[in-house]
Amino acid sequence: MPEACLTFEDLTLGYNSHPTVHHLNGTIAAGSLTAVVGANGSGKSTLMKGIVGVLKPMSGQCRVADGKRIAYLPQQSELDRSFPARVVDLVSLGLWPRRGLLGRYTRDDREAVSHALMAVGLEGFEKRAIDTLSGGQLQRALFARVLVQDADLILLDEPFNAVDAKTIGDLIALIKRWHGESRTVMVVAHDLELVRANFPDTLLLARRPVAWGRTADTLRAENLLRARRFDEAWHDDAPWCAPDDGHEHAHAHDHDGHHHHEHGEIRDRPDHESGPRPA
Amino acid sequence: MHRLIALASVLTVITLTSTAAISAQPLKVVASFSIIGDFAKNVGGDRIELTTLVGPDGDAHVYEPSPADAVTMSKADVVLVNGLQYEGFLQRLVDASATKASIVELTNGIDPLDMAVGHEHEGNGAAVNHHQGGLDPHAFQSVANAKVYVGNIAGAFCAADAAGCDVYKANAERYTAELGAAEAYIEASVEAIPADQRTIITSHDAFGYFENAYGLTFLAPEGISTEAEASAADVAALIRQVREEKASAIFVENITNPRLIEQIAAETGVTVGGTLYSDALSKAGGPAPTYIDMMKNNIGTIRGAILGS
Amino acid sequence: MYDLLIAPFVEFGFMQRALAGSLLLALGACPVGVFLMLRRMSLTGDAMAHAILPGAAAGFLLYGLQIVPMTIGGLVAGIIVALGAGAVSRFTVQREDASMAAFYLISLALGVLIVSLRGSSVDLMQVLFGTVLALNDDALTLIALISGVTLLTLAVFWRALVAECLDPLFLRSVSRLGTPVHFIFLGLVVLNLVGGFQALGTLLSVGLMMLPAAAARFWTARVEPMCMLAFAFGAVSCVAGLLISYHGSLPSGPAIILSAGTIYAASIFFGTRGIFNTKLRHHRHRTA
Repeated sequence: MPEACLTFEDLTLGYNSHPTVHHLNGTIAAGSLTAVVGANGSGKSTLMKGIVGVLKPMSGQCRVADGKRIAYLPQQSELDRSFPARVVDLVSLGLWPRRGLLGRYTRDDREAVSHALMAVGLEGFEKRAIDTLSGGQLQRALFARVLVQDADLILLDEPFNAVDAKTIGDLIALIKRWHGESRTVMVVAHDLELVRANFPDTLLLARRPVAWGRTADTLRAENLLRARRFDEAWHDDAPWCAPDDGHEHAHAHDHDGHHHHEHGEIRDRPDHESGPRPA
Repeated sequence: MHRLIALASVLTVITLTSTAAISAQPLKVVASFSIIGDFAKNVGGDRIELTTLVGPDGDAHVYEPSPADAVTMSKADVVLVNGLQYEGFLQRLVDASATKASIVELTNGIDPLDMAVGHEHEGNGAAVNHHQGGLDPHAFQSVANAKVYVGNIAGAFCAADAAGCDVYKANAERYTAELGAAEAYIEASVEAIPADQRTIITSHDAFGYFENAYGLTFLAPEGISTEAEASAADVAALIRQVREEKASAIFVENITNPRLIEQIAAETGVTVGGTLYSDALSKAGGPAPTYIDMMKNNIGTIRGAILGS
Repeated sequence: MYDLLIAPFVEFGFMQRALAGSLLLALGACPVGVFLMLRRMSLTGDAMAHAILPGAAAGFLLYGLQIVPMTIGGLVAGIIVALGAGAVSRFTVQREDASMAAFYLISLALGVLIVSLRGSSVDLMQVLFGTVLALNDDALTLIALISGVTLLTLAVFWRALVAECLDPLFLRSVSRLGTPVHFIFLGLVVLNLVGGFQALGTLLSVGLMMLPAAAARFWTARVEPMCMLAFAFGAVSCVAGLLISYHGSLPSGPAIILSAGTIYAASIFFGTRGIFNTKLRHHRHRTA
């Protein structure tokens, strides 16, 4: 049984006391390649932010195994494209985990950067200003930065948005390469065909996890239907989620031996969080 | 209806009565700044109720009037101002308060000097630069002019309060005599300074009338208003002039940037003498709480710095 | 030529001091200005000029015209405003421009209140802000110290500062330095501005911070050269401005700033990324 890279313990994430990810339990095995799917607002990006630590949990916790380095490619990057930087400067940011604030960049580091640029097909773009890149080129550059980061856990939030088919193919190849190097990869994606074709595992989110396990099992029609029924809106009159309630959930989610595959067995339970809805 | 008419007539009576009562009250006098306030106090004595807008150590060139000033102004019987555009804030305040009081410009009857431009006082002061176009408003820096101010104040008070005219005239006469004594003191003090040491520097050239009357030369690094900023050429020219003409002392004034003065003193080796009061009196406990004190203090400071150094 | 360019600085000590002071200020303030501009905080300098008033005034009222208490007072007021505004924008939904406006207005009102306790507002304003022509030893030491601290801090935090500007979310995902580095940077801004106000006056210190930076933006697409170019522009402006002030009998602060303004205007048109090169010139283009 592979060791856990990531463990969710009753994790609830959200904004303004409204949960966006509700009582999530389970593990991501080291070396796994997991797609995170779900409707808009189902908590996919929030989960990513929670894992990387940009968003603090409202309750529960998300534990990353010791010594695992995280690389995170956000969906809406706060990248300032008007900042005077070249492609090589942007990609070199990925050296931070290795060199930190003051460490000098060695010749190896510079080679790692140019290898990464080569790997994403941006050879010769080193000196280009980032404000002259197309959307797809920028996405490739950001992938190169992830490459340079040399992380154990890689989180990609909708990396295939507004990217052409060839670029998607190249990026998928990179993701598979990472998978082959036994890195743990989680990718938020919308294209279910893409997910079925390339991702062994899938987490289907609808605020709470609807299904989680082998992609083929998770993306069955009844699971997708259930995920679609989820109510995206926040209700100000929704009852408070009592701590006990959470515990009950924890038990309901419980599974023996941390086999993440068993998450697919999540049963349909009365949806306690939706409460009485306004007419 | 009857009640309303009755009420209205009662109100009218009250109003009339109160108007009549005013004439028995002290004359309400507003003085624009501290020096004029001092003159008015000496002439009016306790027959007037005096309000001074810009108090001790304040700068009347760029004073920002408050609403309370407008209220004071609107209730005044006589408003005493320097004139020659000394009080930049005045016209706005007069308009805002819609005062009925007579505005008396005390510089009426003096012989105004052109605005002195720093260091162009060669010869008999005829080297006048007209590019600023105005007249020097600091007429009170000569005691002879102060006597004219006092005469104007007495005239204004007589016009507004005929009953007290004799008192005002007597007060003015007594105070003019005091001014005469102060003037003699100043002239004697200047006499004590050797003729070739009568050049000094101060940060504000408000002393045009002073030098004209008493034969001292004042050099200044800044223009006539405290709002002007010095240029490198001004400072350089002044340092050269101090070196060439052997100025004897430098004075920090009470209301301008003292850093510039210190810099010039450091560069020329001339010592910094003390504080001269040009546009305002000091507070009650200070060295220049009255006009006569101010003039005596200034000449005393100048003489001490020159002869002491 | 010698009379025109060199002689004024040889003959007069105050010209040497003015040159040394303004160059030292440019050394620290120009790179800080580059980052201020890149963070879209170009107007912060102006706001800070008002924000430091209560501190500097309190220092003056308590200790008189001494540069150390006034600078410390100004620093405290400036840091409270900068950090307060920064904290509100970091930890709430409000953007930095709005919180900065709120904080500096409160501070300015407090400053006017304190100044009014002394009776007249004008004399104190004159005293609170220095002029480049009157730099004493204390003021020169202060400026030298500030530019030293600024350069050292920039060197140490350079990588974090660039990362924080370029991709703040990335920096947060790999390091906890994001928020501290923002505050350290705001501290540098306050330090340079307050020191400049005390020694050289508001116009000069804000202008010398922002104008060369804005001009340098038109010439290069990298941060390091941009900072160096900004300093070069700043230095040229100082020398030119002082000479213009000397020969043309013009106030020194405005002369220096207008020199920088001229460089800025020229850069808008003729910079490698300026109008002439990017918009007007009929470009030949390559096949790929």
